[in-house]
Amino acid sequence: MPTSTDLLQGTVDVLILQTLAAGPMHGWAVAQRIQLVSKDVLQIGQGSLYPALHRLEYKGWIQSDWGNSENNRRAKFYELTETGRKQLETELETWTRLSEAIGLVLGRIPEATA
Amino acid sequence: MKDTLKRLRFLLRQTLMRRRRQSELDEELQFHVEQTIEAKLAAGMSAEEARRLALIEFGGMERTREECHEQRPGWWMGTVAQDVRYALRGFRRNPVFTVAVIATLALGIGATTAVFSVVDRILFRSLPYAEDDRIVSVGLVHSLETQEFMVGGFFFDWRDNQKPFGAMASQGTMPHACDLVENNPAQLDCLNFDAGFLPLLGISPVLGRNFLPEEDRPNGPRVVLISYGLWQGHYNLDPAIIGRLIDVDGNPARVVGVLPKDFQFPTLQSADVIFPFALDRAAQATANGGFGTPMRVFARLKPGVSITQAKEEMEPLFAHTLDTVVPPVLRKDMHLGIRSLRDRETQDMQLTAWILLGSVLAVLLIACANVASLMMARSEARERELAVRSALGASRARLIRQTLTEATLLSLAGAVVGLALAEGLLRVFLDLAPTGIPFLQRAGLDLRIACFTVFLSLVCGVLFGLLPALQTPRVVALAARAAKSRKRTVLRRSLVVGQIAVSMVLLSGSALLLKSFQNIEGQRLGMQTGGVFTVQIPLPSFRYNTGQKQMDFYLQAEAALRRLPGIRAVAISDSVPPGGWQGDYRYSDLAVSGKPHPAPGTGGQVDTRSVTPDYFKALNIPVVRGRNFREEDRHSGESLVIISRLLADLMFPGEDPIGKRIQAARDPRWHTVEGVAENVKNGGLVEPDNPEMYFLRSNVADYWGERAPLMIVDSVLSPKATVPWVRSQIAQLDPTVPVTVQTLNEQVSKLADRPRFETALLGFFAFCGLLMAVIGLYGVIAFVAAQRTQEIGVRMALGATRMDILRLIAGEGLRLIVLGGTLGLGAALGTARLLKSLLYNVGPHDPGTYAAATLLLALVALAATLIPARAAMKVEPVEALRYE
Repeated sequence: MPTSTDLLQGTVDVLILQTLAAGPMHGWAVAQRIQLVSKDVLQIGQGSLYPALHRLEYKGWIQSDWGNSENNRRAKFYELTETGRKQLETELETWTRLSEAIGLVLGRIPEATA
Repeated sequence: MKDTLKRLRFLLRQTLMRRRRQSELDEELQFHVEQTIEAKLAAGMSAEEARRLALIEFGGMERTREECHEQRPGWWMGTVAQDVRYALRGFRRNPVFTVAVIATLALGIGATTAVFSVVDRILFRSLPYAEDDRIVSVGLVHSLETQEFMVGGFFFDWRDNQKPFGAMASQGTMPHACDLVENNPAQLDCLNFDAGFLPLLGISPVLGRNFLPEEDRPNGPRVVLISYGLWQGHYNLDPAIIGRLIDVDGNPARVVGVLPKDFQFPTLQSADVIFPFALDRAAQATANGGFGTPMRVFARLKPGVSITQAKEEMEPLFAHTLDTVVPPVLRKDMHLGIRSLRDRETQDMQLTAWILLGSVLAVLLIACANVASLMMARSEARERELAVRSALGASRARLIRQTLTEATLLSLAGAVVGLALAEGLLRVFLDLAPTGIPFLQRAGLDLRIACFTVFLSLVCGVLFGLLPALQTPRVVALAARAAKSRKRTVLRRSLVVGQIAVSMVLLSGSALLLKSFQNIEGQRLGMQTGGVFTVQIPLPSFRYNTGQKQMDFYLQAEAALRRLPGIRAVAISDSVPPGGWQGDYRYSDLAVSGKPHPAPGTGGQVDTRSVTPDYFKALNIPVVRGRNFREEDRHSGESLVIISRLLADLMFPGEDPIGKRIQAARDPRWHTVEGVAENVKNGGLVEPDNPEMYFLRSNVADYWGERAPLMIVDSVLSPKATVPWVRSQIAQLDPTVPVTVQTLNEQVSKLADRPRFETALLGFFAFCGLLMAVIGLYGVIAFVAAQRTQEIGVRMALGATRMDILRLIAGEGLRLIVLGGTLGLGAALGTARLLKSLLYNVGPHDPGTYAAATLLLALVALAATLIPARAAMKVEPVEALRYE
C-alpha cells in the first residue's frame, strides 16, 4: 500500500469540492476518485471523508439526495451547489497563489515563469 | 393548551428528525463498507477475507458517527442538555451533598453581597459630586464641636486670602422650620447657601438656574431654590414652577430653580427650600456677639494639593483668626480642621464598615473552603465512575465538560438562593441599622459584587471539582483508590484547619461585642423610662416669633395635658437623657461666688437643661439634698438651679452646696443652688457621665425663645391609649403644628441601635462561619473514617477495643481542632485591638470572653467529630474486613 500523506482539513474540503465538480457522486466514489486521480498518493479514510461531507453540507456548499448506485443500490449522492461552485473557485485561486508562493520559496519554479 | 400541543409536536418532530438523521448516516456508512467489499471481491479476494479487510480499513464506526454528528452547527447544545440531565440525576441521588453545597454557596454569596451593598457607599462608592475626592470640609473644631465650622466673622477673610483651594462656599449650619403658606400649607425645612455652593459641588439645578451673585447679597431679591421632593410632592412636577412666587413664612419668594432628584447636602441634612445666604460682610463683624453667623464651609482643593499641604497653607490664616476672633479662654481648645468630604460624612462608621466587610469576607472564605472540600470529597467518591466512563469511550474533554456543568449548576443554584438571601438580609440590616449610618436607606443590592461572589464561588467549585478529572490516570483510578487520595486529604485537612481558625476569630470578636452589648443594656440609667414619653412640637418661628407666644403655647399645652386621665406628671425641658443637648458649657465657664475662677478650659463639659419642677418627678430622679423646685418658684422670677451629685462633688468638695450661688458664662444672672439631684446617664449610653446643672424654667418670656422646648409626660396608662389624646389636645391649640411623640424606652433603645447592629451582624457571621467550619470538619472526619474502615477491621481483629477506635478517629479530629483553634486564637488576639473603640466596659483581650468562645468552638467541633467517630466505632469487624 502506498504511503498516504496527511491531509489538512481544509485540503480535504477542496479535494472533495473539486471532485464533485465533475458531477454528483456518493461518498465511496469520491474517495475512490481522489485516490485514482492522485495515483494512490491521497487516500481519504471514511473517518475524515464523512465528517467532511457533512460539514460541507451544513455549510451549504454541497447538497445530498438519495439515488441508486451503478449496481442499483440505494446510496446518498452529493453534488455541488451554486455557492459551493463559487467557493471552489476562490479556494482554487487561494491554492494556486499559495502553492506558487511556496514553490518560489523552495526554488522549484524558475523566476522567469513566475 | 394549544401551545402545549404545538410544543409537543415540535419536540416530536425534533426527535424524529434526529432518528432519521441517525439511520441515514448508518445506511450511508454501511453502503461504503459494502462498496469496499465488492471492490475487494472484484479484485479476487475470498468473501470472508474481503469482509474482514474492509471492516479493518473502515476503522471505528462509532467514532465516525460521533464526528459526523459533531459537524452539525450547535450540536453541543444537545450534550449540554444531556450533561445537565445527568448532573441533576446525580444531585437527586446525593441530596445531602447538593443541599450542603448550595446552602454554603448561598450563605457566602448572600451575606457578602448584602454587606458589601451597605458598606460600599460608606467606604468606596464616590460621592455624588464632580471630582468628589477633591472636596473638603474646612473650619475650626473644638472638643464640643468636632465637625468643622466657621463664623461669618472670619469666613470672608479666609476665602479671599487662602491659596490651596480653587473655591470655598458656605451653607447654614442647621435647617430651620419654615411655613409654606398657600392654599395647601405645609411646614418645611429651610436652609441657606451661597451662590458658589452648587458650582463648588459641580451640581446644576435640574430645572431653572442657580442663584445669581446679585441675588446672594444683603437685601437682594427674595429668591429660592426648591428640592425635587417639594417640586414633586407639592407642585406635581409642574415646569411652570420656575418664576412663580411662593409664600414662605408670610413673604413671597420667587422660585428660580429645582435641585436634582438625587441631590444630597454634603452635611447629609435635608431641606426643601433654600435661600441665598446673602451675608452682609460688614455686618458680620458685629453680628452674633462679634462672631458672625455660624456656617459649614466646603472647599475644592486645587489639583495636586493634598489635605496635609492645604492644612499647612491655611495655618497662618488660622493663627490670625485665633488671635483676633477667638476669645483667649477658648484658644487652646480650637484647632484647624480640614477633612475629605467622605471622612466628614462617614468617619464614625468607617471602622464598623471595615469590620463588617472583613468578617463577611472571612465568611466567604470559609464558604469557599467548604465548597472546595465538598467538591473534592464528591469527586473522590466518583473517581471510579469517571474511570469507567472514560474506559467506555468518553473523551477527557467530555468528562471535564460534565464536571464543569455540575459546578456551574451548583453555583447558579447557590447564586439564586444567595441573591434572595442577600435581599432578605439587606432588609434585616435596614431594620436593625441605627439611624446614623449614612446612605443606608439608599442601599440596594449591588449587582457588581453579586457577580463577583458568584464568579468566585464558581471558581472554587470548578477548580476543586476539576482536580481529579484533570489528574487521575485512568487505569489507576479503575484499579485502586486509597493511594492517590492521600495527598488530597492533606489539602482537605488544611482547609478545615483554616476554617476553624477563621471562625475562631469571628467567634471571639462577636463574643466581645456581645459582652459589651450586655454591659450597655444592663447598666443603670438613673431614671425611669417605662411609661414616659416625650412630645416635640416644632413651632414655626414666623407665627410664634416672640418668647411670649412660645411660652403661652407651651403653658397652655402643659395645662391641657395635665387634665388628661392617667397623667402623673407633665414637665417641660429642652432634652431628655441619656442623649440630648451637648450643653454649651465647660466647667470653667461656671463661676462660684466667693471662689476663685477655675483655670480656663479645665473640668470638661457640663450638661445643662432648663426644666420645670415636674421634670424630676416625671423621670423619677431623686433629689438627694436640699429640695426640688416648686411650682410657685416658676412665677417668682428667682434664678434657681439644681446640680447633679457629680457637679456638687466637683464644685463643692466637702461643703454643703445648698444656697451657694453660681454664674454661667454669657449670662449675668446668679443662680442659687436649691438642691442636689442623683446622677443620671447623660452623655449617651457608652460615654462617661457629665456633671449636670438644671436651670429652673421660669415663666419669663425671655427664656423661652432660645432652646426648643420638649414636653415630658409620665402616664400610668399605656402610651398607645394616651398618645391620641395628647395629639388631639395639641391640635385644639394649633391644628397645623406637627407633633412627634416618642417613648423614652424607644429613645434609649435607639441609642443602643448601633452596638446592637454591630453585635447582631458579627454574631450572625460568626454563627454562619462556625456552622460551615463544623460541616467541613464533619465531612473530613467522616471521609477519613470511611477510608480507614478496612484498617479499623484489621485493628479490631487484632484486638483493638471499640474505645481505641473511637480514640483513633476522634484524635484525628482533635488534632485539627487544636491546630485550627490555636491559630485562630492567635489571630483573634492580634486583631481584637481593632474592635477596641466599639467595646464598652470590656477589654479587647478579656480572658473570660475568649475562654467562652474557645469552649463553644471546642464543644461544637468535638460533637462534629464524635458523630462519625462513633459510627466508625460501631463497625462490625467482619464487615469492615470485607469492605471494598
